[in-house]
Amino acid sequence: MTGTIQNREVFLNKIASQLGRTRITAPIERPTWKFRPQDEVLKGATQDELVEVLKEQCKKIHTTFYSTDKDQLSSLLDEVVSGYGGGPIVTWKDKRFADWGLDPLMKQEWPEKEMDVYEWDYTRGSENIAKAEQANVGITISEITLAESGTVVLFSDENKGRTVSFLPTTYIALIPKSSIVPRMTQAAQKMRQIHEETGHVASCINFITGPSNSADIELNLVVGVHGPVKATYIVINDL
Amino acid sequence: MRVSLFATCLVDLFQSNVGKATVELLERLGCEIDFPESQVCCGQPAYNSGYTKESKEAMKRMIDTFKDAEYIVCPSGSCAFMFHEYQHVFKGDPVWEPKAKKLAQKTYELTQFIVDVLKVEDVGARLEGKATYHTSCHMTRLLGVKEAPMKLLKNVKGLDFTELPGKEQCCGFGGTFSVKMAQISEQMVDEKVCHVEETDADYLIGADAGCLMNIGGRIDRKGKPIKVLHIAEVLNSR
Amino acid sequence: MPMKISNEQFKERVSKGIHDDFMRGAVSSAQDGMGVKRRIAAEELGNWEDWRSHGEEIRQHVLENLDYYLEQLSNNVAKRGGHVFFAQTKEEANDYIRGIVREKQAKKIVKSKSMVTEEISLNHVLEQEGCEVIETDLGEYILQIDDHDPPSHIVVPALHKNKEQIRDVFTEKLGYTKTSKPEELAAHAREKLRQEYLTADIGITGCNFAVAETGSFSLVTNEGNADLVTALPKTQITVMGMERIVPTFEEMEVLVSLLTRSAVGQKLTSYITVLTGPKEELNVDGPEEFHLVIVDNGRSNILGGEFQSVLQCIRCAACVNACPVYRHVGGHSYGSIYAGPIGAVLSPLLGGYDEFKELPYASSLCGACTEVCPVKIPLHNLLLKHREVIVEKEGKAPISEKLAMKAFGLGAASPTLYKIGSKLAPTAMSPFKDGDKISKGPGPLKAWTEIREFPAPNKERFRDWFKNREEGGK
Ligand code: SF4
Repeated sequence: MTGTIQNREVFLNKIASQLGRTRITAPIERPTWKFRPQDEVLKGATQDELVEVLKEQCKKIHTTFYSTDKDQLSSLLDEVVSGYGGGPIVTWKDKRFADWGLDPLMKQEWPEKEMDVYEWDYTRGSENIAKAEQANVGITISEITLAESGTVVLFSDENKGRTVSFLPTTYIALIPKSSIVPRMTQAAQKMRQIHEETGHVASCINFITGPSNSADIELNLVVGVHGPVKATYIVINDL
Repeated sequence: MRVSLFATCLVDLFQSNVGKATVELLERLGCEIDFPESQVCCGQPAYNSGYTKESKEAMKRMIDTFKDAEYIVCPSGSCAFMFHEYQHVFKGDPVWEPKAKKLAQKTYELTQFIVDVLKVEDVGARLEGKATYHTSCHMTRLLGVKEAPMKLLKNVKGLDFTELPGKEQCCGFGGTFSVKMAQISEQMVDEKVCHVEETDADYLIGADAGCLMNIGGRIDRKGKPIKVLHIAEVLNSR
Repeated sequence: MPMKISNEQFKERVSKGIHDDFMRGAVSSAQDGMGVKRRIAAEELGNWEDWRSHGEEIRQHVLENLDYYLEQLSNNVAKRGGHVFFAQTKEEANDYIRGIVREKQAKKIVKSKSMVTEEISLNHVLEQEGCEVIETDLGEYILQIDDHDPPSHIVVPALHKNKEQIRDVFTEKLGYTKTSKPEELAAHAREKLRQEYLTADIGITGCNFAVAETGSFSLVTNEGNADLVTALPKTQITVMGMERIVPTFEEMEVLVSLLTRSAVGQKLTSYITVLTGPKEELNVDGPEEFHLVIVDNGRSNILGGEFQSVLQCIRCAACVNACPVYRHVGGHSYGSIYAGPIGAVLSPLLGGYDEFKELPYASSLCGACTEVCPVKIPLHNLLLKHREVIVEKEGKAPISEKLAMKAFGLGAASPTLYKIGSKLAPTAMSPFKDGDKISKGPGPLKAWTEIREFPAPNKERFRDWFKNREEGGK
């Protein structure tokens, strides 16, 4: 379904005439910029160094940082969730949870402890949002992780609801170590690459850096405003 | 080395001490000073008020006055900057733009000239007392002279130097701003005076006659026991 | 709220500002704190000047080719099923949005912070339609429930209010019963606003940067409110100033980095949301319908002229935080929703010289704004340009000043006149002298001497001393 465009020609003609020329019709190649300072940040850092940078940055963004191996992931996640007061929990529907050995925890242990675990299911429509809204913990996986800023990047789709990361009271991001890149630059390049290869862009790409916060009242930092009030990152070393 | 002095109108009319100190200092450093008689005002007051047309005449006059100079030295960052600004004012003018460019190339603020051209950082000055320094906006931000005054002051014997809190903040002079927006300017200069007082300094030193007239005038009005000195006077004291 | 926020004269507003002690304390500590954070965030990169130059080259390239990129953007938005409306005036923008509101029979609208919707007075229009409009940025929310108090800072709109005042407003308007602790106040707002998001019919956002190549746009917040505004209501309307666009994600990234570092000294803010079109078919959250309204409202008149560079602005407020004038008079003194140096440059361009002619003079031309601007807008030069236009084209300068400057032109340009004038100065000034100073000056000196002493002219001008010395052989 294509959308509509209204009023465009007069509008753009005015711009062109103000700029003292006719409308540009031939495609413009993306310019070769004179400056590229963004490439210098954490240039040549190893994956281990990037993990260290991420860990340091977490202190500044009020985010708890853990790193673990895949075989310890389940028990660590359980611990973090209990620390946050347990369920209700909402997660994406994502095969990787099973691949990483989390099924027993998510599908058995937690339900047995009478913790409500809800897995995103688009066939159930707006119930998903109600579940996310009532959840105490939201769990997602970071597709790209930015060491410099301590940012996880999430791409939405039908199984990866946007609201899982910001409606619950607390938020946990699982971060494969291999997903860590120096900074937003690499994420932007990846986004363009995906678009070039598939012709598609996720309708929502979220760059999340710690819990939500505000300094709007006398510039006092309040952590936890509209989104989560607490956040934890778990880096998985052998992924 | 032959140096043509661009004294500025404030120094010529109100602060001849500063001019005298500049001459004596430069002579001691081996320069031969020349004062082109036909110099007038650099045009800044009119230019900064939006009267570009009116100020152009003064600018042309100054360009002509200094056309044969080898080095032009000015004891005021703001006025020295104005000479650098002429080339933009005359941009596109086939006659005056090249002349203005030449003028800019040979114009230096006093401390910049001593440090960058004469390559001197210790002028052998001595002044006893506690001092702080006001970094004028035009000199630091627009002309880009930040280090030179500090290098020179550091070597003044007997001077106990404290950095001015909020030093990068404007003192509220801004030429006609000080009278046009007097209400706001007053708040700005008051904060500056407070900061100067916090340092407990005996001397407030600066390199721009305009700022010093502003801060000094307020210090005087408030009856504070702080002496305001131009950096030329400090470097010329022994 | 229209662009103009006050009918008082400039001097009265300034005077009010100067006497508002809380506001001044808040503003100066905000400037000091944010200034330091910005500087650290800039300097830790080690090549900040290259970043600024990169920001500048991107913005300049976009402005030079703006029609092209807007065309590309609109095609790509439409391809994704979004509707694009180009509004040359604020009336056109408001009419279009009103049309959507009527069609949807919308009752409740949630908004995330947007300067351009303030500029076109959108809230007023929506309220006239009988809608309940809720600002969700905490600062904006506070102002809104306090009977639409105008914002005083682009990034921290309620900077002029203290927590006790906020508590009182909450108590009166929301039945709040707790203390003035920011945490408790924020928690209350969170609770109230949650319900609003979930029940709103339309979400309205601004736009930090649109991305032409993919038809996307980004929203930058710390609170996460923009995410909720765009995830929950069924209809989303995004309003953007026509210049807020970049070619691709890669340039978006650079400008977002410049924005967050310059605005709040953060490497990135907590939420940067990149949205493309309405939600996809099987998605649950996200809007079913997406409208993009691209607003000119006077911007195109700035293109191609000597003020074009102001359109490079990314609304980071670094210039506001560095400005010594803003420091003492606060945001409301500017009488415009755009305060500080950027406001002083932009307001006369968008709102006319009649309304905002004093603003270009509310600057000592100290250059602090220009120094911090992450996209290298020569702000103080543009203020100077405004003065030139006011004097030369608009003819709005006072006659007395014009005469004085004419005389200046003559005097300064002519060595003879200068000499005569300056020689006479000590005599002319002598009636006002009090020792070596003048405490009650005449004419233009009066404003000076009300505040400070003015030096009496030297008896011997410097040039006379020099001449005598030369002649006397040292
Ligand atoms: S003018 Fe520059 S510093 Fe000021 S808000 Fe715009 S981008 Fe930021």
